[in-house]
Amino acid sequence: MIPDMTQQGQAAPEPAATAPNVPVVLFNGVSKSYGRIHAVSDITLGLSGGVTGILGMNGAGKSTLFKLLMGKLRPSAGEVKLFGMNPWKNPAPYAKVGFVPEHEKMHDWMTALEFVSTFARLHGMTRKEAEKEAIRVLDFVGLSDVANKEIGRFSKGMRQRTKIAHALVNDPELIILDEPLQGCDPLARTTIMNVIRELGKLGRTVLVSSHILNEIERITEQIVILHQGKLVALGNLHAIRERLDQIPHTIRIVGEDARGLARDLLNHPAVFGVSFPNEKELLIQTYHFGKLHAELPRLIVENNHRVSIIDNPDDDLESLLNYLAGGGA
Amino acid sequence: MSQGREVPSLWSGMDRKALAIGEFTLRQQRKRLSTWVVLIVGVAAMGVLTMFYIDAMTRDYEAIDNDGDSYDWDGDGYPNGQESLYGTDIFDSNSHPGILDPSVVPDDPSVWINEDDFDWDVLATGSVGKDDNGDCEVESRTASQKDANNNGIPCDIQLVSERWNPGGFVVRSDGNVDEDPDDEAYALEAIHRSFVLAIGKLGVVFLVGIFVPLFMATGLIRNEMTSGTMHFMLAKPIARGEVFLYRLLGFYAMAWVYLTVLIAVLAIITGFAGPSEGFFRLDDLGVWMAVWLGAVLAVMVYGMLFCTLGVMWKHGMVLALPFAAWELGMILTTLGAPDASILRFSVIGWAMNIVDAGAALAWSDTPLFIQMGLWGGGNGPLEGSEALNLFWSTPGLGLGALGTIIVSVFVLVFQTAACWLLGSALFKSKEIE
Repeated sequence: MIPDMTQQGQAAPEPAATAPNVPVVLFNGVSKSYGRIHAVSDITLGLSGGVTGILGMNGAGKSTLFKLLMGKLRPSAGEVKLFGMNPWKNPAPYAKVGFVPEHEKMHDWMTALEFVSTFARLHGMTRKEAEKEAIRVLDFVGLSDVANKEIGRFSKGMRQRTKIAHALVNDPELIILDEPLQGCDPLARTTIMNVIRELGKLGRTVLVSSHILNEIERITEQIVILHQGKLVALGNLHAIRERLDQIPHTIRIVGEDARGLARDLLNHPAVFGVSFPNEKELLIQTYHFGKLHAELPRLIVENNHRVSIIDNPDDDLESLLNYLAGGGA
Repeated sequence: MSQGREVPSLWSGMDRKALAIGEFTLRQQRKRLSTWVVLIVGVAAMGVLTMFYIDAMTRDYEAIDNDGDSYDWDGDGYPNGQESLYGTDIFDSNSHPGILDPSVVPDDPSVWINEDDFDWDVLATGSVGKDDNGDCEVESRTASQKDANNNGIPCDIQLVSERWNPGGFVVRSDGNVDEDPDDEAYALEAIHRSFVLAIGKLGVVFLVGIFVPLFMATGLIRNEMTSGTMHFMLAKPIARGEVFLYRLLGFYAMAWVYLTVLIAVLAIITGFAGPSEGFFRLDDLGVWMAVWLGAVLAVMVYGMLFCTLGVMWKHGMVLALPFAAWELGMILTTLGAPDASILRFSVIGWAMNIVDAGAALAWSDTPLFIQMGLWGGGNGPLEGSEALNLFWSTPGLGLGALGTIIVSVFVLVFQTAACWLLGSALFKSKEIE
């Protein structure tokens, strides 16, 4: 590995005047591979302003994308630009960025205030300024009453909020959150979601990754879906949702008279196929999952069937992503 | 949200970041059990050496009558030395200073043991020694007896350098000069100096100097990379080369304070416990200062180097250990052959130059002192002289003491800078997962 000696030393004290047409984040044909494994392949994406959810399964390339953006990884092909600058060569744009890494490990021996203010000083703040800003952001994420407790004694949610506070201390224009909700209790989830929405309202560019569709839905409508390192969907969540509704879904029903139930349901326009894995089990194929799912209880009751289980084995992100990526479920 | 925050200039910005990371590193080290284990083991090892030293200083050294003049061969009550002084027959019991007019009272035999002090007084170039007890300058002896080595100076010792062995001497004595040195005084002084040099060179500069960075600096960057906490630091507007340097500064702050305290304690203990005419051995402070300088610079290079090895490979310790073995070989080489050119390719060789040069300044009489002890009044080495000969080395650069110190400091600083450049270049090229 040839060392790259051209990295620059200091942050530009005055942020370089970014032309209005330069996107905050730009990936241009970016690939990152490890030997024959492609973590990210040929991603082209430009983002500026608003909250964007990056959705994908574990290993879809969300973290790789963020690490490329934060100059931790060097792209195998293509170019990454952060405020128009190459982040691998130049740490200067980080003056305007806040990054919340996915790693759980933190400096447990520090108090939240020490943690946030120590890293604030790396933005060139004096000790006093750093402490003042740290108190401000800890209050913003709702941790002001535990600011002087050691991080080691924090719950998962408090740790995540400390990480978010540390990323906000420089009042960044771009905030990147890698799986901020993972492992958090419901209360922490709500707080973090509120914080992210608040940042969006303040006009910041926010990138937040998750592998749970439902979570992202509650935060933003603008999403990017990654699957196996490829960008498979991009845009408004409602538009994507509508497309998702067109996917053939399977509904599994377990009841006493599977064949009788099938006969009654086959007449429904949404159903296009049935199968019987065994005597008591029925699998229904549908293109209008939402509609059929809403009407099923009525149909069952009207036809006097006894049913013990109704579920949808492939209503998860994986099968949706498979559909988006390959066009078939 | 944060309008009116002072925008730092380039230098003040660097300064604030350096202080933040340095302080962070210092506090992080302080919170680690392993740090304290390493530091306490270092103190314990030096403590054991110091106990050996205290034992050596408080032991009784047998006073040997090297020239046999405390004996009374004819049994007349007068020791041979006293009889020789007055010119009476040492084999005739009827011939003794008691029959002289005025009559002389017999000396206690102990007067004739160690009667020649333990110093070599420098008379002229190549000529040393003084007849401290007057048994050479006896009237009855002829001029040629008093100048047996034929150098024109009566009652002296001539040192002739050996042509085939630079630094070695042949001792030619006029006889009865410094022939019964004070074994105990010599042993105490020689053992004291040997100990100060041994603990300074092998103990502080080498052992502490290499093991403290080995355990504390190898993981400075690597541990953070492995645990993922480096992400926090590298997401800030700071170059990786700076992070590397400032982490080391934090380590230096701790290691240097530790070395300073350790050396100060050793200097105080040996200063009070060592043989001294006064209250405290002030001369030794020069040696301890050189030990301090050598140790501080050695830790500086080793810290930078080991941190670089840690960045290079996650098992950086495996790379550091063969290097430590190499350094051990080099320090042993400095003891026997301080001018060997292979020492230029080590760190410890340059650090040893500093200690040797400092000792040469503070104890400039040591080479003569060693020769005298090895000669031992013509009866072989005195206790302590061989140890001192082992641990004492003439600085190998051939530049004089001050020149040696200046050149060695420069080389060690250069080595540190080279390691930093290499380490930060490696760090910059590393992808961090």
